[in-house]
Amino acid sequence: MTPERRGRIVGVFTASHSPGITGFPERAEPGQRAAVERAFAEVRRRVEELAPQAVIAVSVEHFTNFFLGNLPAFAIGTAGSYLAPVTPEMGEFLDVEQHDHPGDAQLGDHLYRFALDAEFDPALVSGGLAFDENFCVPLKHIDPAARLPVVPVIVNGVNPPWPTAKRCYDFGRMIRAAVEAQSQAQRVVVLGTGGLSHWVGMPESGTVNEEFDRDFLDRMASGDRSRLTDYTQDQIDAAGNGAHEIRTWIVAAGAAGVPFETLVYEPVPAWLTGTAVAAARI
Amino acid sequence: MYDLQRLLWDVRKDPELAERFRTEPDTVLDDYGIEGEERTAMRALDFKTLYERGANPYLLYFCALQIGVDRADYYARLRGESA
Repeated sequence: MTPERRGRIVGVFTASHSPGITGFPERAEPGQRAAVERAFAEVRRRVEELAPQAVIAVSVEHFTNFFLGNLPAFAIGTAGSYLAPVTPEMGEFLDVEQHDHPGDAQLGDHLYRFALDAEFDPALVSGGLAFDENFCVPLKHIDPAARLPVVPVIVNGVNPPWPTAKRCYDFGRMIRAAVEAQSQAQRVVVLGTGGLSHWVGMPESGTVNEEFDRDFLDRMASGDRSRLTDYTQDQIDAAGNGAHEIRTWIVAAGAAGVPFETLVYEPVPAWLTGTAVAAARI
Repeated sequence: MYDLQRLLWDVRKDPELAERFRTEPDTVLDDYGIEGEERTAMRALDFKTLYERGANPYLLYFCALQIGVDRADYYARLRGESA
């Protein structure tokens, strides 16, 4: 395989996926809503310009598919399509019409095999995986026509104990190596979605830990692996159970290997979330 | 706690089970083998007790919504602010 034939990661983006972003945007202050929507529009513009053949989308899933009877720390989807979102009712809640989102089965299969060879042990999900807000919310803004073939990567961010931040970063590095070890998808975008601070179903719900969020974004902006992976479970707990979704950003940071620019940060209690969108400086 | 969390998850995914829990909670709790403090709490929609006993808050919240407890009522119960 000649170097110019190898696949490349041409863009890496990260974003919150609060259901409020699409489901009840009007509850946020107008200025905050506009700022978040501008940032998503910017990502959409950049993705259109990058013209990727596939998107490796890294998120958690909120007990839509997996349960405590079999809960993977990491999972890779290798299907050709994904129901998005899982039910018409969730579609109404998110204001995303239920549809089948295309999957890149070939790239998914390659990523799964590559992961095993690289001594990662993700769960294989070769069918039946449905999306919830994890992918539906950001993709509504970034890929509204649902055209971009996706390889979903799921990281456990919803039930302790969790994979370490270091393992997440290194999983991201493995994703980059996997993309560069194939030639079918020449141009690949990585999208990490989740966080930042929020509490789901907990007494603190509706509060935002702006200090944690800004510090995390500063670490993303540094691109420094040691800072991005220097988190204990307790430190993340200080920003809520939902903050454990920052693992998806850390995977994305590992895949990018470069600093990120924050396109927007707004603490939005009405969406229950410290809401951010960022892009790798590739 | 696994059996209880299994019930919370199944209710979220199965509207008919949610309806059956609303109308005849005891038969559902029997089916899932839920006894003792967890049974009392689930029957009373005492989410505070279930949360403190370690139920995953996502599962608890999604189940509450599915059985018709609205968001504000869920959080009031979770915080022990509701009878």
